Amino acid sequence: MPAPASSALFEQLALPLLPSLYSHAFWLSRNHEEAEDIVQETISKALRAFDSFHAGTNFKAWVFRILRNTFLTSRTAIAASRTVFLEDHPDLLNISDMSPTPEDHLLRLDNQAAMDQALDRLHPQLREVLLLCDVEGLKYKEIALVIDVPIGTVMSRISRARRTLHEHLQKQRGVSL
Amino acid sequence: MTHINAHLGYDQVSAFIDGELSPKETSEVEEHLANCHPCAIRILSATQLKAATRHVSERFVVPPEALSRLTAQLSPEASKKPAGVYTLRSWTWGALAASLILAVSLLGWHATRQSGSLAAELLDQHLAVLSGGSPPEVISSDRHTVKPWFQGKLPFSFNLPDALPAGTTLNGGDLTFLHGQPAALLRFNIGRHQASVFFTQRSRDESEPATSGIQSGFVIQYANTHDLRITAVSDVNPSDLARLMSVLVEAQSPR
Repeated sequence: MPAPASSALFEQLALPLLPSLYSHAFWLSRNHEEAEDIVQETISKALRAFDSFHAGTNFKAWVFRILRNTFLTSRTAIAASRTVFLEDHPDLLNISDMSPTPEDHLLRLDNQAAMDQALDRLHPQLREVLLLCDVEGLKYKEIALVIDVPIGTVMSRISRARRTLHEHLQKQRGVSL
Repeated sequence: MTHINAHLGYDQVSAFIDGELSPKETSEVEEHLANCHPCAIRILSATQLKAATRHVSERFVVPPEALSRLTAQLSPEASKKPAGVYTLRSWTWGALAASLILAVSLLGWHATRQSGSLAAELLDQHLAVLSGGSPPEVISSDRHTVKPWFQGKLPFSFNLPDALPAGTTLNGGDLTFLHGQPAALLRFNIGRHQASVFFTQRSRDESEPATSGIQSGFVIQYANTHDLRITAVSDVNPSDLARLMSVLVEAQSPR
């Protein structure tokens, strides 16, 4: 157990991150009760391991990594691991198949429900990196640390997530027209 | 990276808007964008999508009772407890938290009642539903039963959707009054949360719906259709309530 001064520092660093940790746990598990359990366990583990945290490094990336590992041992994650994820194929993804007109790339993003639905439909592994990047503001190298993959994989997953999200929104737009 | 003649790849677009390119790569992309309209549009689109993703997720609100429990766990006193104690969630805790929130909300509402605002009135009716526990006057999850029940009781008509969002069920309806006007109060369950949705006749001089927001910990969302005003009150997270509102609004479109 860390010394009291260490505990106080941990509290100071972790307290502002609670809403983000809960929100991310919810996106991972899609369940409020499980999200709370995951965050509780994450706090408990992080506090016990706080002595191994190197001051000056990114605490947010460190604690998000613990959160993710905690999620991976949860019931939901174990069940989800049965689904197959097509691994990253940069050669297939990094192509420039342009839409018929450039303006077709512009979407009407004022429909919150459609955006929410499209995000929900993303593969969990793609949604995870996208949220760590766009919502949590982590850099690619920090995301690589959190999810334990090479930085190139982070880049291709983010790219693929945005492309898939864009396609979902375009399809929804086509249906609504 | 050499001078870019071909269009930007997806990875390049993402890395550029995320600020992940080196200064040299960034200037090369900028040079390309100055002369390539299609890629400039794609950068704009990707930037908008990034902002929209952030915005959608920011609308997600952590339940206050969960945040309170997690904050308490962070205190040194709480952290001395054995790990097994950390699992605070249980029906008892949930019921206690709900009662506490309800009591605080009722107190908070009574303090602001003098304002006589529509929001306070809506909240009052929703809290009455929660605290009273009385069943709706028409109890049914079937829209073909609930909707006809209001015929002759209201000076307007409304539609109910064929399908509700996943996890949402219709419990029934009540006739009620808001600001002296007759209203249909529909009761829904979204997961374990209750939601009250009010249908009222829209006045002709009413242009835009009121701004949605949070009052006493409850989410209040408004929407206008051509003839109706729809208002929802619940303690569920705003995105789930917005999904229900969306299908209700859509159901009012001419078929």
